[in-house]
Amino acid sequence: MSFDGFPPFISAQLHYLLNHFPDKIKVEQVVSGGNKSYGVGLDRFTLLIPYCLDYIKWDVIYNAEFPLAPPDIIFGPEDEDFHPLHMTGAEGEGDLKSLTRNILSDWNNKDPTRLLALIQEMRDQYMSYQRKRVGEVDDDRLKFEISTICSREGIEMHISSGAEKPEEVKFAVPLMDMNINKMVHGCPWRHPQKIYLQVIYPVGRKYASTPSAPRLKLMSTIELRALFSIDDVKLPSWLDGMCMAEYLPHLEESLQKQVLEAVSLIDIRRCFIEALTPLFGRPLEADPVFCRKATFLASSGSFVFLVHFLFSTQFPKQQPALMLQSSQHISPQGVPKKSPLLTEYPWSPRWEVSQMSERIFDFLADESLNFKRFCNESQPQH
Amino acid sequence: MSYLTKEGQRGEMKMEGIEGDASEEGAGRYTLKPTRINNEDIMFCVDVEAESLVEMKTVGVTRLDSIKQAILLFVNSKLSINPDHRFAFATLSKSASWLRKEFSSDVESTIAAVRALSAITGSSGQADLTNLFRLAAHEAKKSSAQNRILRVILIYCRSSVRPHHQWPVNQKLFTLDVMYLHDKPGPDNCPQAVYDALVDALEQVSEYEGYIHESGHGLPRTLFRFMSMLLSHPQQRCPQDDCDIPKPLMKKPAESTNGEDNVHVSTSQ
Repeated sequence: MSFDGFPPFISAQLHYLLNHFPDKIKVEQVVSGGNKSYGVGLDRFTLLIPYCLDYIKWDVIYNAEFPLAPPDIIFGPEDEDFHPLHMTGAEGEGDLKSLTRNILSDWNNKDPTRLLALIQEMRDQYMSYQRKRVGEVDDDRLKFEISTICSREGIEMHISSGAEKPEEVKFAVPLMDMNINKMVHGCPWRHPQKIYLQVIYPVGRKYASTPSAPRLKLMSTIELRALFSIDDVKLPSWLDGMCMAEYLPHLEESLQKQVLEAVSLIDIRRCFIEALTPLFGRPLEADPVFCRKATFLASSGSFVFLVHFLFSTQFPKQQPALMLQSSQHISPQGVPKKSPLLTEYPWSPRWEVSQMSERIFDFLADESLNFKRFCNESQPQH
Repeated sequence: MSYLTKEGQRGEMKMEGIEGDASEEGAGRYTLKPTRINNEDIMFCVDVEAESLVEMKTVGVTRLDSIKQAILLFVNSKLSINPDHRFAFATLSKSASWLRKEFSSDVESTIAAVRALSAITGSSGQADLTNLFRLAAHEAKKSSAQNRILRVILIYCRSSVRPHHQWPVNQKLFTLDVMYLHDKPGPDNCPQAVYDALVDALEQVSEYEGYIHESGHGLPRTLFRFMSMLLSHPQQRCPQDDCDIPKPLMKKPAESTNGEDNVHVSTSQ
């Protein structure tokens, strides 16, 4: 994304922030605070900062007419009590306070790293602020839960309260200390991929004899989907009287197995793509890292077409989806002729790979005749 | 008739070839190595001199008409393989110049660029590829900075004008593919010599294995077929001599188990 219209010092800091922030951070609502007729550039924007498996929105307000000053940051309406410069401390927070002060008082608009430092620092403080708020909630069960998982690294928490909503406490618990990136050969991921458990407790009830289960949801960084889909994971049931400290190790053990299996399936898909080549020829292009897709060029008489193979993370339990695309027919609107996604054809995960390949070949030999007819019906071949 | 002027199939221009490229199995078994490949920036360079207006075998359809169609088909196919590939457009008369310089994966903008392709009147009698290579090398640096690779697909239509170029020997910054449409060879033209010059250029400048195809008999579907073969990703190609695609999808007659020959078994399930 380019930021034309920003004075260079703002643009440099914003670029640095976007490129170096450990998670995906987004920018929106870029405007100019100054009087446009003076040709003052853009100097304010909204940052969407990932926090607790959601985003917090902070407005960053520079002033293009006073470039030497650090930007102001405006927090969301729910966080009126968040004052990073004035946080009274639990131990260690005295250090945080002075760090923020230093960043602001020592502001150097020529240093592109400053905005990142400021935002990261503020986010750390926000995390402490939320932690403190959650700790103050008058709910015995919640207090107990927090005490059992507090020692886990990387947990983020958030308490939401609104006029219409009941109070809820949300935990984002990173799971598994695995470096998944390292397990994938040729891994293209820029950020470490992680899986989280989102746990949401309602607040305000006194400790019941059988506390109800919290709402649980698995979430992952987006790019992980190429390897492993959390939608395929069945969460272990939360038994009556359970607490997070008991539930988490159980879940993690199961997830670890599933991730390891997902990694081993990459090479299963790779071997299958390779096994297709004696019959289908060398693919035009195949995904070399996750082996989720491959496209081949085939012919039926003088009709030449592409064959797309799409492999789910459940292959070979789930058969590949196939699609044919003509290399010769295009509608007047410029839309190429494609077959529907073909997912029903003879298949068994227990077949030998060479048999899988032959059966698909036979199926497509028939299907390509139908497809050729379909293409020629609407438009004669050149 | 075929003319062998170089070792290997590449030097032989097949005057009648329609269906075939080398039908031998690709040398060695295909392996899909776990190494990342880059998204492509593909620069089409279309010959727009008079010979691009020569009619194909289909009445009323010029070479340029078919080329435009072929480009649209190519771009659509390439994007369905991977929506992150991008395209830009240039034209070639005496030298190359930009038609649409910004690389884009948007089909609409490809349609617009293709519409804007039109032939110029007259022929300069020259085809200097040097500027094309300069433009490509410049773009290749930008592509590389974005973790992409650059490819030039040159579509050339002249039967008597040998292209020439001046290019440093070891500068291989982009891949070059060529599609050559020409008249049947005769006493007044030299498509073989032109073809050889194109092969020379390709072998000199191309970073990854470049492919060259030619056709002299004016069938649009032959052009589309060859362009489809150019869809293959440069970082996953085999040497052109070993190309074995497209494979025909035809069922073999079943092995006779009952002593009956030519029993055609259809998969009914």
